[in-house]
Parts: sequence; structure tokens; C-alpha cells
Amino acid sequence: MDFFIQLLTDPIGFYNSHELLVAQMGINAILAISIFVTFYSGQLTLANAGFMAIGAYTTVLLSLYPQWPLPLDMLLGSLLAGAAGVLVGLPVLRLRGVFLAIATIGFVEALLLGVILNVPITGEGQGLKNPTADPLGGIVPILVSIPVLTYLVWRLTRTRLGQAWAAIREDELAASSNGINVPLYKMIAFVIGAILAGYAGALETHINFFVDPTEYGISRTIQILTFAVVGGTSNVLGPIVGAVFLTALPEILRFVRDYRDVINGVILILVIIFRPQGIVGRGGLALIRPRWLHRRGRVRGSPASAL
Amino acid sequence: MGVLLRLSDVIRHFGGVHAVDGVSLEIEEGAIFGLIGPNGAGKTTLVNLVTGYLRTQSGSVRLGTPAGEVELARRPPHAVAGLGVARTFQTLRLYRNLTAVENVLVGMHPRRPDDTLAQLLPLPPLRRGEQERLEEARGLLRRVGLESERDGPRPAWTLSYGDQRRLEVARALALRPRLLILDEPAAGMNPAEKDRVRELIQQLNAEGLTVLLIDHDMRLVMGVCRQIAVLNFGRKIADGSPVKVSSDPAVIEAYLGKEAEKTAAHVPGSEEIDVQAPARAPAAAEPAAPLLEVKELEVAYGAIQAVRSVSFGVAKGEIVALIGANGAGKSTILNTLSGLLRPRAGTARFDRLDLTTASPDRIVRGGLVQVPEGREILARLTVRENLELGAWVRRDGQVVQREIAELMERFPILGQRRNLPAGQLSGGEQQILAIARGLLARPRLLLLDEPSLGLAPQMVDAVFEVIERIHKEGVTVLLVEQNALRALELADRAYVVETGRILLSGTGSALRRNPEVRKAYLGG
Ligand SMILES: Nc1ncnc2c1ncn2[C@@H]1O[C@H](COP(=O)(O)OP(=O)(O)OP(=O)(O)O)[C@@H](O)[C@H]1O
Ligand SMILES: [Mg+2]
Repeated sequence: MDFFIQLLTDPIGFYNSHELLVAQMGINAILAISIFVTFYSGQLTLANAGFMAIGAYTTVLLSLYPQWPLPLDMLLGSLLAGAAGVLVGLPVLRLRGVFLAIATIGFVEALLLGVILNVPITGEGQGLKNPTADPLGGIVPILVSIPVLTYLVWRLTRTRLGQAWAAIREDELAASSNGINVPLYKMIAFVIGAILAGYAGALETHINFFVDPTEYGISRTIQILTFAVVGGTSNVLGPIVGAVFLTALPEILRFVRDYRDVINGVILILVIIFRPQGIVGRGGLALIRPRWLHRRGRVRGSPASAL
Repeated sequence: MGVLLRLSDVIRHFGGVHAVDGVSLEIEEGAIFGLIGPNGAGKTTLVNLVTGYLRTQSGSVRLGTPAGEVELARRPPHAVAGLGVARTFQTLRLYRNLTAVENVLVGMHPRRPDDTLAQLLPLPPLRRGEQERLEEARGLLRRVGLESERDGPRPAWTLSYGDQRRLEVARALALRPRLLILDEPAAGMNPAEKDRVRELIQQLNAEGLTVLLIDHDMRLVMGVCRQIAVLNFGRKIADGSPVKVSSDPAVIEAYLGKEAEKTAAHVPGSEEIDVQAPARAPAAAEPAAPLLEVKELEVAYGAIQAVRSVSFGVAKGEIVALIGANGAGKSTILNTLSGLLRPRAGTARFDRLDLTTASPDRIVRGGLVQVPEGREILARLTVRENLELGAWVRRDGQVVQREIAELMERFPILGQRRNLPAGQLSGGEQQILAIARGLLARPRLLLLDEPSLGLAPQMVDAVFEVIERIHKEGVTVLLVEQNALRALELADRAYVVETGRILLSGTGSALRRNPEVRKAYLGG
């Protein structure tokens, strides 16, 4: 409760005392945008944490060794994640649904176990110290990025490209009869998602003094997926709301901190049962309302959501 | 005029099934070319080979373009579309959750400049193109007979089956194609609506579009095509003018069957024969103690009221038909009765079961089974597994096995393909499967939504025979059918549904003689 009271009565004080939390919300929001892009094109990909790791390590290594300027490091980190996206995408994007999800998880595990934990330059399992981090300054690019990326992705869903994604999500076969190059457009979505995840990873290294390889495993992947499921995927605001809400939750529920994961799980289940389209469903933000309240006079079996 | 599409010796087998087995065809530029043949003859497979969905095993498919002939056989579907070949799908493939207008907008994709980056910044001059496209999309909806104001903003899945077919045509036209392939565009429409499809095809053709038309409605095909090819078991058994094809003994034997006489009559220039059937003894009027009783039923999709205050009853042992135009609300009524939709108001009672609140599975166990429009079979299960699931609620396993064997004998195409995944059946074969599955549930009340959809003339006869037989065995039937003449011949009583209301009711024979009904639904 204190949390909300302070947020409402003293926003500046709140910001000062919760900077890390705000930064984390922002990073998670960018990750949420990244998974939204692939969802929007109908693909269940779970490689975001892996691309994040690529962005993070590249950025830190470039600022440690060649000591290039940070914005350049971040740019290269994101682009390298995108390039990895092309390489991973070529074989796995032929798969669909659960098979695609499993293949992309496989990529994350292979990257983590095969490269990050074994290559000396990444500090092997020990992680990497990042003395150049700047927790206070690092929050600024995060806060600036969110509105810009939200706007761009929102616009993107309305362009020729976004329309093609929606068509592919609805029916791949029909989309190709309309002249849409399905493999190409799926790849574009996958790579944009990878770049955004890499960018989130790069930003994160700037607020932490330490790059911890265990941060980029399956549990992070699942967390990102949860943002999208809880928030909803019918428009870009859904996953962002999901990310902010789920990141803030442990703070709000400080008094039951030990049961954090349990509570996260319960929320996920409640959303799936009562509001399968997510908090932000079709037609904007809606309150959580049990289905049986409007049983009569309603068409059952609403159209399948993004997946 | 040159040849627009040239197929030479095209072969595609699936294991032992010779779906397309050495077909050669030439479609002239500017023609309306008809492709007919029994269910499973290979028509859709041929379309899939032309449009890049399937690879040919041998032979060539060449498209005439301004820059000379190009081979289509190795091109992916989107590239074929890019060359100006548009198609519709026999089993509808709309973007169900996108609106009608959005569906058409997607259809413009290949001829629209890639302005994605510019569009990220919504400056007014860039918006103009958007407005123009929107106007064009609305124009295309009107062109195919949809109302752009009312239907444009609706999600595609809420449109009636016939309107969804129209929307597919509009989406295909959005490509501004040079060749338009229509795979059963008039399925699920009544004769008057089919006439509108015919007019549309003729108009488009007059504007220079070449059309390849597949349909089982001989009135449509014979009336509109100048050149027809007939397939049977993957081979071309005849081609030529409608007159020549419709009098060819091989075609009559393989495809037309009893319809042959009527078919000849559909060829323009020959005299229309009267297809009056002998009148049956009129049955009783509204039943006193009906098995199914519907009162003041109202159903809506969001803001759109699909069914308005509909009341009717079906007595035990009756066959009752609902006829009416597309989008009149007939399927909505059936879907409400089987518990898939919930009414906004009114009651529906089957025996003692309240259909407005009971769950769909409870309704099936209560003895009310629906065969839905557009064959919702389980694509990955085999034909046999689909049939066995149809009998899921029954406990008499041995009898079920015997009935399955009987059905496979009656419909040999099911027997031959019993171990094939149902999704690989042809459109008509799937329809037969869906009906057979409904029969196996041994319902007390069977709801049939468009049983003749996509069936070859001979197959329609077989299906109507089966309906008659199970009716004799005591099953009550509520039938929705666009082949209104056949439905009224079979039905004891019928209701005419228009814009969500019941306009008329009466015995089948009375309605068949009613001049208004004849004009609106029986095609003259
Ligand atoms: N992918 C596939 N695998 C196996 N068999 C197939 C496959 N696709 C089609 N077939 C078979 O090929 C035959 C021809 O099918 P096709 O869909 O071309 O028939 P059709 O002429 O369009 O029939 P209808 O009038 O019923 O639509 C059918 O017997 C079908 O079972
Ligand atoms: Mg077919």
C-alpha cells in the first residue's frame, strides 16, 4: 500500500527511492515489445533471453576492451543480436507453434551452455564485471526508448508490413495466395524481435555492475512470455502493461515476498481462465470480469487470440 | 488472343491416389473456362499445382505473360500470385479475425508499393494512399454484393457462409489478377444468389479477366462457360463446349447421372424444362406437442442482430426444412440450438432440455446432433477415427462397427480412404464424412446444415437418399439447404427465413408451388 500512496502523493520521492525498479520495468517493457512483434506475426518464439544475452555481452565486451563509446557498443550489440536472429531463424522458422517454441528454447540453452559458460572472454560461468556501468545515467535511455519504440511498433502494425504479419498470423496459406512472401515476413518479425531483445540486454548492462549469465536462461524466457500472456497481445500496449504490472508486483507484495513465484503463477492462471485475451484485450483496457456475468446474449467462443 | 494458361501432362500422385494423372489443358486469354468432375476427381489438386501450393511430379504449367510464357511449376505461391494469378479456396480461408475490409486490403499486398518506412511517420500526403485503398476495398465489397457500410467493419468470421465466399472473391480481385481461379464460388448459395455470381463472373470477364471456374452447379457452369473440361480419377475424360460435354456418355456416366437431362436444359439456348415433382400428401400444420420447440429466439453477434424473434416447432418423426437467402440467419439458428451460440432472448427446448443453457456436449448426449456447414472434420485423424468419434456417445460398439461398414459401402470414397487423414480428402469427400459422422451419433434430432454443399450431382442424390432412409428409421430431421427444390421435395414442412425472421411456412409441396418462393429460391 505504501507503494501506491507514495507513487500518488510524492512521485519524485518515489522515483528516487525506486529507481532500480523503474529501470527494471522499462527493460522488461522493451522485452515485452520484442516478444509482441513475433506474436503479432503468429509465431511463438522463446529466444528473447538468448538475444538479450548477445546484446548484453557484446556491449560490455566492446566497452571493456576496445573501449568504444557506449552508444556505439549498444548499437553493435543490438545488431549482432539481429544477425544471430537471421542465423537462428533460417532453420527454425519453418517450424510452427510448440515446435518453434521448443527449437528457440534450444537455441537459448545452446548459447548459454555452449558459448557463454565456456568462452574465457565472457568470464565463463563467473559472469562479467562491468565497471563502466552507471545506474543513474543508465535509466535515461531506457525511459526515452519506451515511448519511441512503442510508437514505432504501433505504427508498424498499421503498415503494409504489419498487415502482412496479421495475415500470416490468421492464415499462412491464404497469405501466400495474396502474394505475401511468408518466410521473408516471418524472418523480418523474428529479426526485429531479436534486435529489440538485444537492445534491452544492452541497456540492462548499463544499470548493473555485473553481467550474470544465469539471468538469461529459461526462467527469463518464461517471464517474458508471461508479460505477453498476462498483458494480452492484440496490441502493443498489452505486453507493456503486463511487464510493468508483473515487475511491480513483488514490490507491492513485499510482505509475502517468499511466495513471489507462487503469486505470479496464480495470477497467470487467473488471467488465462478469466481473461484469455489478456488485461489489455481487444478494444482497450478492460476490467477483469468473470465470463458467466454475461453468459446470455453473448456469442461464445470468441475468436482465437493471437496464438 | 493467345493462350493464358497451358498445362501439359501434369502429374501429381499421393501414394496410391492418382489425384492428377497426366492432364493437359489450354485456357485462352479472355475465356471463362469450366472444370468439372466428381468429388475427388482432382480439380482442387490441379488448382493447387497451378498456384504453387503443390509441386508437380512431372509435366509443365505455363502462364502467358506480356513478356512471354513462364513456367509456374517451381514457383512458390506468393510468386505465382505476383504474376497475376488469384484464387479462392474451396474450404474457406479468410483472415477470420480481421474485418472484411482488412481482408480485401491484404489482397492488395503485391501491387502496393512498399512504403513501410514512410508509413512509420503518418504525414498527410502518405495518408492519401491509405484513403484511396480503403475506398477501393469498399468498392470491391460492393462489387461482389456485400454492403460496405454494414459488412465492411465486421470480423470475417461473423459473416454468413455465402458472404464469406463473396468476400474471398473480393479479396482475390484486390490483386487485379489476369487469371482468376474460383473453386466452387457458389457453394452454399441459393439459385437466385447463384445467378448473381454468374452475373459477376460475366461482368468481370467482359472487362477482360480470364476465369477458371470449378463448381458442381451445372446451371451455373453450363450457363457461363464456353469451354469445359471434365476430370475423373485425375484424368481428363472430355472437353469442349457445354453442349458437347453435357451430352457425352462418359460424362453422364461418371458425373451427371440423373441430372443429365436437366443439365442439357441449362445450356443457354435450349428450352427450360419444368422440374415439378409429384406433390406429396400435405402433412399436418404446426405440431401440437413438438419435439423441438423454439419461441421468440433472438441471437446477435455483437451489435448485429442475426435472428429476430423466431418461433417454430418440429414434431417427432418430421423432416422440417429452413430455406432462405444467405445471411438470413439459418445457420445461426442451428448453431444456437446445438449450444454453440447463446441467444440474447427467447427459449429453445428439445424434449425436456433447455438448449439456451445446456452445454454443447450435454445437448449431443441428449440426442441432438448437428452436421455443421463447411465440414468441421478432425483433419489429422483418419477417416475411420473421425467416424468412430461420431459414435462417441454410444455404448453399442458392435452395432457401430457394423454401421460404419455399411456407410463405407454406401459411400465408397470413404471406404477407400479409411486410413487417410481426413484433412487430405477433397472438399466433397469431407462433406460426406461430416454427414456420415453425424449419422453415426444415432441422434433423435439431426440438424443438417447444407448437406449438399460441394457435392457432385450424383453424390447429392446419394445423400438425399440417406436422409430419407434415416428418416424412415425414425430420426427427426431439421434441414437447412440452399438446394431449396430438393429440400422442399423431401420436407414435410418448411419455413422461409429472411433477414432473421420467419416470412412464410407451410408444407413442402405448398411452398414449392408458391410463386414467390419459386421466384426467390427455386430459380424461376
Ligand atoms: N495431400 C493429400 N494427400 C493425399 N491425398 C490427397 C491429398 N490431397 C488430395 N488428395 C486426394 O486426391 C484426390 C483429389 O482431390 P481433389 O481435392 O483434387 O478433388 P476435387 O476434384 O477438388 O473434389 P471435390 O469436388 O470434392 O472438391 C482425392 O481423392 C483426395 O483424397
Ligand atoms: Mg475440390
